[in-house]
Amino acid sequence: MKTKLKQEAKDGWILLSPLLLLTFIFLLYPVVSNFYFSLTKWKGVGKPVFIGFENYKTLFKDERFYRSLKNLGVLVLYIPLGVLTPLVIANTLRKGFRGWKLYRVLLYLPNILGPVILGTIFSVILSQIGPVTDLLTKLGVKNAQEIYILGKSASAINSLAFIFVIWMRVGFGCIYFLSAMSSIDASLYDAAKIDGTNAWQDFIHITLPSIRFSIEFFTVLAFIEVFARMYGIIFTLTGGGPGYATYTLEYGVYMISFSAYQKGYASAWSVILFFFCAAIALIQIRLIKKGENN
Amino acid sequence: MNKYKVRRYITNFITLIILSLFSLVIVYPVYFAVISSIKAPAEYVVNKTGLPQNPTLDNFAKVLTQMSMFKFMLNTFILVGFSMVLYFLVCTAAGFAFGKLRFKGRLTAFTFILFIQIFPQMVIAGQIYQLISKMGLLNTHLGLILVWVAYFAPFGTYIMTTYYSTIPKSLIESARIDGAGVIQQLFKIMIPIAKPMIGTLLIIGALAMWHELPFSMLILQRLQLRTLTLGIALMQGEYGLPIPVLAAAILVTVGFPLLLYIIFQNYITMGSVAGSVKG
Repeated sequence: MKTKLKQEAKDGWILLSPLLLLTFIFLLYPVVSNFYFSLTKWKGVGKPVFIGFENYKTLFKDERFYRSLKNLGVLVLYIPLGVLTPLVIANTLRKGFRGWKLYRVLLYLPNILGPVILGTIFSVILSQIGPVTDLLTKLGVKNAQEIYILGKSASAINSLAFIFVIWMRVGFGCIYFLSAMSSIDASLYDAAKIDGTNAWQDFIHITLPSIRFSIEFFTVLAFIEVFARMYGIIFTLTGGGPGYATYTLEYGVYMISFSAYQKGYASAWSVILFFFCAAIALIQIRLIKKGENN
Repeated sequence: MNKYKVRRYITNFITLIILSLFSLVIVYPVYFAVISSIKAPAEYVVNKTGLPQNPTLDNFAKVLTQMSMFKFMLNTFILVGFSMVLYFLVCTAAGFAFGKLRFKGRLTAFTFILFIQIFPQMVIAGQIYQLISKMGLLNTHLGLILVWVAYFAPFGTYIMTTYYSTIPKSLIESARIDGAGVIQQLFKIMIPIAKPMIGTLLIIGALAMWHELPFSMLILQRLQLRTLTLGIALMQGEYGLPIPVLAAAILVTVGFPLLLYIIFQNYITMGSVAGSVKG
């Protein structure tokens, strides 16, 4: 018995070694080393110079940092709607809906095209001299050029939030929630029908509690997307602008690190971002473990 | 009963409208890219929204030959192809260990993998650049392949782990009695048995790599090495690039994923929930 266990441990580590080797070198080391580099002045070449907490002092005075936090706040405020929209649609579709298959193909399409392509197409379509302005002018809108939603701070961040948090996730969300709802025991609804409940009560008292895990998980995924997966679309859609109107922490790290070559200072931004991501990761891990026990 | 039916019609109608609006937001951009790509640049300036009067394929010829999109396409196929082989082996091996074997440290390692996969590419990009240059892998496809597999394998491993944990352990027990080593068990039993999941694993991985931007931008700085996605991202910033040419480049970039999607759409959309829904 003991040798068998030993053998199993040996086998396990052999199988894990390629994954662990790659992740230690290319993920763990870079993530952890940010803590050291955040205390240095460093341009990416030559030796980093230790400067203590100077970078953090600069950071807490940096306008871009506060804009990034505020923008992340706006994006996070869209998450409830980003979860609720597919949830409500899925609830209607649950009872069967003619034409859903066609809509599913279309709504999932953004995931196939990817953020870089979507950002590029939308930046063309919504540009001041793009087809949308053209269409509006033809429809008789005066000064349609002035609408230019990507060109103004408030509308730029809200457009980005709508596109990224709600629209891009609706297709996946519907498929995801439908699949979760399909595993709900049908007899629950039958029993409720005898009690004479309406659709709304069924939704609140049966559907929502039954797929609570999926809703929580989908919400956590939305947080991950907002804090850690937005670079591609920001780069192509707005480039962080106008001004700093669509900066996030992630985009700030890029601009400071690769446009300004202040690698040490960028590491300080990375460390702040690390704590946000670590918090989200811990919530996700707790959820996964809870899901496994059920 | 009647009241119930009326209500049902109303909710269905509202759902239909919402679904149509959301769909329109994707249909229009794709339609716009298609009609623009076959307009001559001069025609686009005066006719942005209408159908092309004199359809032409010049833009496609231009992006494929003069703008190296053909080269970018070859690069993308090579990069994604080789990465997929490595990614597949790493994910199935680790998924096997996490999902089927019991040993000390397994849970810690699994938690580490779940934790480390969340960080945005930008948080690690700076140091990745330094590492890759020190290894002498800057401007090589090998460098990007290693980084891609490292970054995307944790999620793939998670998918395979959830799958393997549902498979009866007796299968490997009997192989072990036959004296098969762990690598043999992986190739003879675990990989063949995972067939239903492998398609999903590969599609999720390949799409993620096809869309990847920051790492390719850092590691592949020479024009000749670029991927399609990187080509588009950098093209967009070019001053004075005609929209029809950009539209043609976009269609070249999404052509292959789109083709796969049209063929396997059922499989891809349903597979996308793998690893995130509990049965």
